[in-house]
Amino acid sequence: MDRQTTLLKVQKEIEAITSQGYREIASHLSKDCVTIGFFCPYVPEELIHAAGALPFRLMGTPIKMSHVQAHLPSNCCHLVKSSLESLLKGELDFLKGVIFSHTCDSMQELSDIWAHQGRLSIHFNLMIPTNLDSEHSHPYLKAEMERFKEFLESHSGKITPQRMKASIQLFNRVREKLGEIYTRRRKGLAQLPGSFFAQIIRAGYLMDRVRYLELLEELLNALPDKEEENKDLVPVYLSGNMAHSVSYFSLIEEAGAIVVQDDLCSGARTFRLMVPENLDPIEALTERYFTSFFCPTKHIGYRAHVETLLGDVQKSGVRGVIFLLYKYCEAHYFDYPDLKVALESKGIPTLLLDVEDPSYSLGQLKIRIQAFVEMLHPI
Amino acid sequence: MLEHTLQPNPYREIESTRAYRRLMTAYYFMAKHPKWFGKKVAWITSGGPVEPLYAMGVLPFYPENYGAMCGAFRMSVSLCEAAEHKGYSRDLCSYALTDIGSSFTGKGPLGPLPKPDFLVCGNNICGTVIKWYEIQARAFNVPVFFLDTPFIHDHIHEHTVQYVEKQMEGYIAFLERQLHRPFSEKRFERVCLRSFEAITLWKEILELSRHHPAPFAAFDAFIHMAPIVTLRGTLWAARYYKKLKRELEERVKKGEGAFAREEIRLIWDNIPIWYDIRNLSKMLCSRGAVLVADTYTSAWSLDQIDSTQTLNALARAYATIHLNRGLEYKIEKIVNLIENYGAHGFIMHSNRSCKPYSLGQYDLKSEISKATGKPGLIIEADHTDSRSYAPAQVEKQIQIFLEIIGGKDKR
Repeated sequence: MDRQTTLLKVQKEIEAITSQGYREIASHLSKDCVTIGFFCPYVPEELIHAAGALPFRLMGTPIKMSHVQAHLPSNCCHLVKSSLESLLKGELDFLKGVIFSHTCDSMQELSDIWAHQGRLSIHFNLMIPTNLDSEHSHPYLKAEMERFKEFLESHSGKITPQRMKASIQLFNRVREKLGEIYTRRRKGLAQLPGSFFAQIIRAGYLMDRVRYLELLEELLNALPDKEEENKDLVPVYLSGNMAHSVSYFSLIEEAGAIVVQDDLCSGARTFRLMVPENLDPIEALTERYFTSFFCPTKHIGYRAHVETLLGDVQKSGVRGVIFLLYKYCEAHYFDYPDLKVALESKGIPTLLLDVEDPSYSLGQLKIRIQAFVEMLHPI
Repeated sequence: MLEHTLQPNPYREIESTRAYRRLMTAYYFMAKHPKWFGKKVAWITSGGPVEPLYAMGVLPFYPENYGAMCGAFRMSVSLCEAAEHKGYSRDLCSYALTDIGSSFTGKGPLGPLPKPDFLVCGNNICGTVIKWYEIQARAFNVPVFFLDTPFIHDHIHEHTVQYVEKQMEGYIAFLERQLHRPFSEKRFERVCLRSFEAITLWKEILELSRHHPAPFAAFDAFIHMAPIVTLRGTLWAARYYKKLKRELEERVKKGEGAFAREEIRLIWDNIPIWYDIRNLSKMLCSRGAVLVADTYTSAWSLDQIDSTQTLNALARAYATIHLNRGLEYKIEKIVNLIENYGAHGFIMHSNRSCKPYSLGQYDLKSEISKATGKPGLIIEADHTDSRSYAPAQVEKQIQIFLEIIGGKDKR
């Protein structure tokens, strides 16, 4: 099979799994597959996988809200509202259950509201410590990881260390391949336009991971060895929540820029979740959250967010930073003013876009992104 | 019919209020001029363990309490706007915005506040405080101690108690480092006994309103709660609450309520609407309705506290406060309040600034009504930012709600 045909084949499979609604996505999953939902990288997908289930990340979909208003006030982010709406509409009935991890107040309360509806048989709260800057957090998180493993075992049977190690290796390989894709994309946009790139990332949270790794390998082999650099495109950094929606990446590229690096919690931020393969699996899964992973809902020192972002942005050689934040996301909005000042004091321009449903207000976003990219172009 | 129900309903002034004013004036005078008293100042969250601070001779200052004061003085909006001009989103908690705006501008009911020496942040009330205290730590360039109390969705696990306990030990070590002197166990025990005494008194005061008529309305509790928040662990708080309790017990003996007329007894859920307490109180009392209990002021009657208050006991008490508990606990708590206080219904303030309190209220409301048969009303507002409040609409909602309750009783 030639490279172009392979590329098209991979693209077709990825597009099929990332089709819009959960019901459509579920139709692509194997009938005998036990699927467990989760929201955030603080849930160790590796453990769910080792328990023989498919970890399925709920990333929010464009959806008409008609049920959720009876359970939540309007000032919750799109992820929280759309996910509960999907649950109430029965679109998540294909899930065996959902694992919540402790992050922000909205997710904390959503977990209880979710459990109260009693629609799914499995519900678990993994209590990630909020203070990751304390010597006492590590043993606490390890105890929580053990509790989570025991919970999974009560449904799946014993999870052996061998199975955990195999899952850890699989997810590490996926992160490595995704890292390569990020690098290749910086060099040659033509084969990996933003919309397809966003779909590749999304697919990695929804489909069988062994097949996903195969697809990533096929994709990397199918890309030309030598690619033209994206000379005419302005390199920008995308900072914010989980925003791997096709529309945002397309809008940025249509405006003449390319996202060369990000800290999105569905994107490059997760590359910091590589698990040491030589340690006891539970210890290794615990340890990785204390190395360099950063989420603004956690405290790892009061300058951590500014320092992490500034370092990452300066290393990536971008000309500007776009903050793409979920409206009502407190953790990000509290940090934003100081981040903006820190970046702009180093001569790095910023643009703030606050978003709700990814399918809304695209025209307005387009104008703002275009103006920002024009400003970044050298005269 | 409405005109018929709108009758004068005189409020009985609480005599101890004068002592309360003197006490709080003295506290804020010290907070404003800590150096005159040789005090270091720690800014602390409302659910943070204050006893170790008093034991170390540190004056605690509560930005949330100050936010409530700014709200009551109707100064919060301009302070929020000052923070918004610096780039903070209007959707953030208005206590935080008020505090940040006050720090930027030096404005507020007390004018410019002295710089804190360090910060103590406990997330048993919300996750907002983490970000808020990080901002202030950067702005003032002072250290922050962070006490992490994992949220309890169902029950508390032993490793969670150990985790909080270990951090309490770290808290003591942090204080010793900041103050360059050893922690005195003896002094700590003394402070804890006073704290326990004040908490017990506060609990007993709130429980007096189980009597019919209630001698102490929730609107009174919203005011008189200030010492239990800010002065818990001092002699002053215990002395003041003894005085207040005596006065209220007299009322009970005489069969006097907070209002002359009490026809409808209600429970309040969430932080008060600080800038409209007076109007809401008038609106309710003119229709014979009295808020007899609430979930907010009772949060400082720490359920699991005991007189042997070691660090271990404190850790458990602070980890299990109302706002750090799941939906099922909250349902049970409000159901108990309705039953114990003989309430006819409940009002829930859906508070735009407080997600841990407000998310889940719709499910709470239906479960509580199912369990008790009592109607509930949800009103939308914000604890200090009046821009998110439509008083005429809320008044209409309350009016209809009270008519429903009145109608139910007649049937």
